[in-house]
Amino acid sequence: MDDSIFRLEKVSFSYPGHGLSLRDVSFSARRGERLAILGANGTGKSTLLHLMDGLYFAHGGSITAFGELLSPERLERPPFGPRFRREVGFLFQNSDAQLFCPSVEEELAFGPLQMDWTKQEVLRRISDTLDLLGIQSLRDRQPHNLSAGEKKKVALASLLVLSPSVLLLDEPTAGLDPRSQGNLLELLDELHGRGMTLVTATHDLELLPHLADRVLVFGEDHRIAADGPTAAVLDDAELLLRVNLIHAHRHWHGGVAHSHPHQHIVTHGHDHIAGEHEH
Amino acid sequence: MGPLPDWMVIGRSELPLPLQQRRGAWSLARKGLGEIIGKAAILLGPGVNDSHGWLTRLDARAKVLGILGLLLTTTWVRGILTLLFSLCAAWALALIGGVNVRRMALALLAVPLFTLALAAPAALNLVTEGTPLWILCHLGGGTWGPWHLPEYLAITDRGVFVAMRFTLRSLACVSFGALLAASGSPQDLLRGLRGLGVPAAFVMVAGMMARYLSLLLESAEQIHLAKLSRSIGGVGVRLEQGWAAAGIGELYRRSRRLAEEVTEAMVSRGYTGETRTMAAQRWCGRDILFVSACAALVTFLLGID
Repeated sequence: MDDSIFRLEKVSFSYPGHGLSLRDVSFSARRGERLAILGANGTGKSTLLHLMDGLYFAHGGSITAFGELLSPERLERPPFGPRFRREVGFLFQNSDAQLFCPSVEEELAFGPLQMDWTKQEVLRRISDTLDLLGIQSLRDRQPHNLSAGEKKKVALASLLVLSPSVLLLDEPTAGLDPRSQGNLLELLDELHGRGMTLVTATHDLELLPHLADRVLVFGEDHRIAADGPTAAVLDDAELLLRVNLIHAHRHWHGGVAHSHPHQHIVTHGHDHIAGEHEH
Repeated sequence: MGPLPDWMVIGRSELPLPLQQRRGAWSLARKGLGEIIGKAAILLGPGVNDSHGWLTRLDARAKVLGILGLLLTTTWVRGILTLLFSLCAAWALALIGGVNVRRMALALLAVPLFTLALAAPAALNLVTEGTPLWILCHLGGGTWGPWHLPEYLAITDRGVFVAMRFTLRSLACVSFGALLAASGSPQDLLRGLRGLGVPAAFVMVAGMMARYLSLLLESAEQIHLAKLSRSIGGVGVRLEQGWAAAGIGELYRRSRRLAEEVTEAMVSRGYTGETRTMAAQRWCGRDILFVSACAALVTFLLGID
């Protein structure tokens, strides 16, 4: 049985007046998977997420979601249109664009109201979602006055309130302090544990093991350069150098110059002492 | 990446700093612009409505119907006393309706000045003939190109009447508009418009405008502050004008990009063009009473005109 949620076949896309942003992209995203889209700036990661969310439409190839072809006509008509919008949540990189209501409560209510749910159901979901993310105190606040971490939580809450089965995340940790990053990663872990499919666009190699089990690597030619498990991708320094995700530097040993690929991924080990848990 | 250039040494610059900062009119205008943007962002930003009176609790359709009806009547009547009464009615409604009158007054502060500036020429005998009330200067008659000049430049009685009528009408209309805006959130009022049968496309565009306004102001402030943070000395009016024009162009570009992103965010969460809020739309006794009272006021205004 095919458990793919998304299937892309030779998808190409270009912005008006610019060259191709994506070139012959083919892959599928399976239900419950944690998939990362990795690439340097300008390789088409955000564009791919926009295509998968039905905000842009491919110029070449096809995208199917939940077994249906993703097209403007299909998205405008029930039942597929509302079902798709409920099942797929897209976390924008720019939280300021994602938050457009006068208060956090209205922000969370926006999606459910589009689904024609009753007021009682909407309010119940809002309260539960605010509790889940620990942001009850922000309920009556204006979103544009919040800190970056709070905005990201509210943006995520506005998606989770619809109980989607897929989350498309565009650089979710960008601009967050380490603690906020940690909180977000823990939440995503928990959501994945409940069966949510996560597709994350990122160029942060350090966080990759926490975000994905499988990685699609995009090269600067806007094609998929590699598709494989996270550990294998991170071990392939030549690949990462070729797609401009790491740099090479020269250094001297005695009188001899060396040049080799170099990546700053910090690993550490620690001992677990019985009875003590401190991280 | 190449080596650091010789002149990039921290704490030492080979080039002299400007001897003085020119504090000309443009510099003051730039400072004033920053303050205006800041104040506008506060007044017009989302969630700015902190009114809690009975007017805010009415059904949106009742508010739109009643207040817009009064506004349209104000555009129709001609008498000075009628317009004055209309202006007073707007502020009286604001006071008794529990609207934040102080914030309303702050938002309308510039309106009388601009309106008077626009209306002032109408008071002159060059525009409106009539009995001169105050002779400003003698022009000596004669011609100037294709125009015949009068003997003198004066403020006439009919001119004053026309200018006053224009000013009062503008003030009253803007007051009713501000009252409507202060009586509810933009989404609430737009829903009221939709409930009265205004086409969805119009309501959608108006809703987008309301959302983008605060984002636009924020972008304008950022561009202004970015320029300010990199300004050392005055560079002359011409260059400043060029920078201002470039800033406007950049603001337009950013706004368009942001508008596209916000639209995408809305569509991504199921938006199909209809404005929906949690407030239930249900007529009750006080809504009908309010509309009836506004209708009575409209009849009264038309009657005394």
